Amino acid sequence: MSVVGAALLAGFVSPAAAQTVDAIKSAGTVKVGMLVDFPPFGIMDASNNPDGYDADVAKLLAKELGVEVTIVPVTGPNRIPYLQSNQVDLLVASLGITEERAKNVDFSQPYAGISIGVFGAQDLAIAKPEDLAGKTIGVARASTQDTAVTKIAPPDANIQRFDDDASAVQALLSGQVELIGVSNVVAQQIEAAAPGRFNQKLVLNQQVQGIAVRKGSSEMLGFVNTFLDKVKADGQLNAIHEKWLGSPLPDFVTKAK
Amino acid sequence: MYDFNFAPVLAAFDQLAIGAWLTVRLSCAAMLIGLVVSIFCAWGKTSGPKILRAVIDGYIEIIRNTPFLVQIFFIYFGMPSLGLRLSPNSAALLALVVNFGAYGTEIIRAGIESIHKGQVEAGWALGLKRAQIFRYIIMKPALRTVYPALTSQFIYLMLNTSVVSVISADDLTAAGNDLQSATFASFEVYITVTLIYLALSVGFSALFYAIEKMAFKYPLSR
Repeated sequence: MSVVGAALLAGFVSPAAAQTVDAIKSAGTVKVGMLVDFPPFGIMDASNNPDGYDADVAKLLAKELGVEVTIVPVTGPNRIPYLQSNQVDLLVASLGITEERAKNVDFSQPYAGISIGVFGAQDLAIAKPEDLAGKTIGVARASTQDTAVTKIAPPDANIQRFDDDASAVQALLSGQVELIGVSNVVAQQIEAAAPGRFNQKLVLNQQVQGIAVRKGSSEMLGFVNTFLDKVKADGQLNAIHEKWLGSPLPDFVTKAK
Repeated sequence: MYDFNFAPVLAAFDQLAIGAWLTVRLSCAAMLIGLVVSIFCAWGKTSGPKILRAVIDGYIEIIRNTPFLVQIFFIYFGMPSLGLRLSPNSAALLALVVNFGAYGTEIIRAGIESIHKGQVEAGWALGLKRAQIFRYIIMKPALRTVYPALTSQFIYLMLNTSVVSVISADDLTAAGNDLQSATFASFEVYITVTLIYLALSVGFSALFYAIEKMAFKYPLSR
C-alpha cells in the first residue's frame, strides 16, 4: 500500500521525472501507452488484447530491454498526460512528431509514418496539382486530406466530400470519382480490394510518428534510438510494416532521424 | 454554464444558406416529380393492366421495406456497375423520387378507393369523357381527401434530404457538418441547422395550406 502511495505521490510531485533504462529493468516490466482504436497501428485483437503495428513495436522494444511488456490503452487526447504523470514509461501511440508536442515530450527517431496522397487509376496522368483541373476528387469531409486537397486543387477541380474514407473509397471503386485523397493506410486497403488498378499521383503531406519518452530522459531516449537503428537495419521493423500495412517501411520513415 | 459562441456560425452563414437552397430545390423537385409518379402508379394499381399492377406492387414493397440510406447507396454506388453513373445531386433526386413515389402511391390509392363507384357511373351517365372522369370525379376529390397525409409525407421527404450528404451532395446537413468540423462549434452549428430545417418545414406547411385553399376549395370549380 505504501509503495502504491509513494508511487502516486511521486507521480503527482514530479510529473516529469526522467525515466531511466535501469529503473525499467529493475521493475521487470515496461509500461507502454498505446492507442487501441487506430487500425492498423493500434487495435484490439479477437481476444480483446492490444494488437497492431504499435503493439508489435512495443513487444520488440520490451524484448530488447529484456523485460515484460504491459500495454496500457490510451486515447488521443490523454496519451501525453499519461506519460507525464508516470502512468506509462513510454508511448508507442502513433504520436505524430510535431514541434508543439516536442515541447512536452522527447521524441525518438521516427518508427512509423503516415503519408497522405492523391490516388487514381493507373492510366490517369496526374503529375502536379494543376493536373487536377476538371477532375473529380473524393475525400472524407473535413479530414486532413480534405484540407490538403482543397489547398492544392485548382478552382475548377470538383472536390466531393463524403462522410468517411469508406464512402470515398466506394466512390472511387464504383467510378463516381476519378481520384481520391487518402492516407497510405487506406490506400493499402484500396490496393487489396482492387489490385493494380490505382496508384499514387501526388504526395500531399507526410507525418512521421515517434516513440515518446518523458522530457529530459536522454539516456532512455538514447536506448530507444539505438533500438530503432537496429530494427531498421536488420529488417525487423520492415517485417512489422509488411505485416500490418502490406508494404515496406516507407523511405521517409527509414531515412528520417 | 455553456458559453454560446455564434460568431463562427454567423460568419459562415452563407455556406449554410447555399446548403439550405439545395435542400429546398431538391425537395421541391422531388415533390413535383414524386407526385406525378405517385398519381401514375396509383392509377396503374387501381385500374391498370394486371402486369402493371404486379410491377407497381413489387416496387412499393421493395421501397417501403428497405431503408432510404440503403436505397441512396444503391443508386449512387451500385448503379455504376450497371452503367448508370449519376452526379451526387441527380442520384439524390432520383433516390428521393423513387422513395417518395412508393409512399405517395399508397396514399393516393387510398384516396382513389374512397371514391364510390356510383360517382364514376354517374359521370358516364352524364356523358363525361374518360379523362374528365379521371380528373374531376376521381383525382380531385381523392387528392382532397388524402391531402393532409400527402403533405406530411412531403415534409418527411424534405427532412429525408438530410441523408443525401452521404453521397457527397452538398445539402444543408452537409454544410452544417462541414462548418461543425471547421469550427468545432457543434452545439451552435446544429442548433442553427435545426432551426433552419424547422423554418423550412413551417414554410412548406404554409405553402401547402395556401395550395389547399386554392386548389380544393368548395364549391368545386372547373
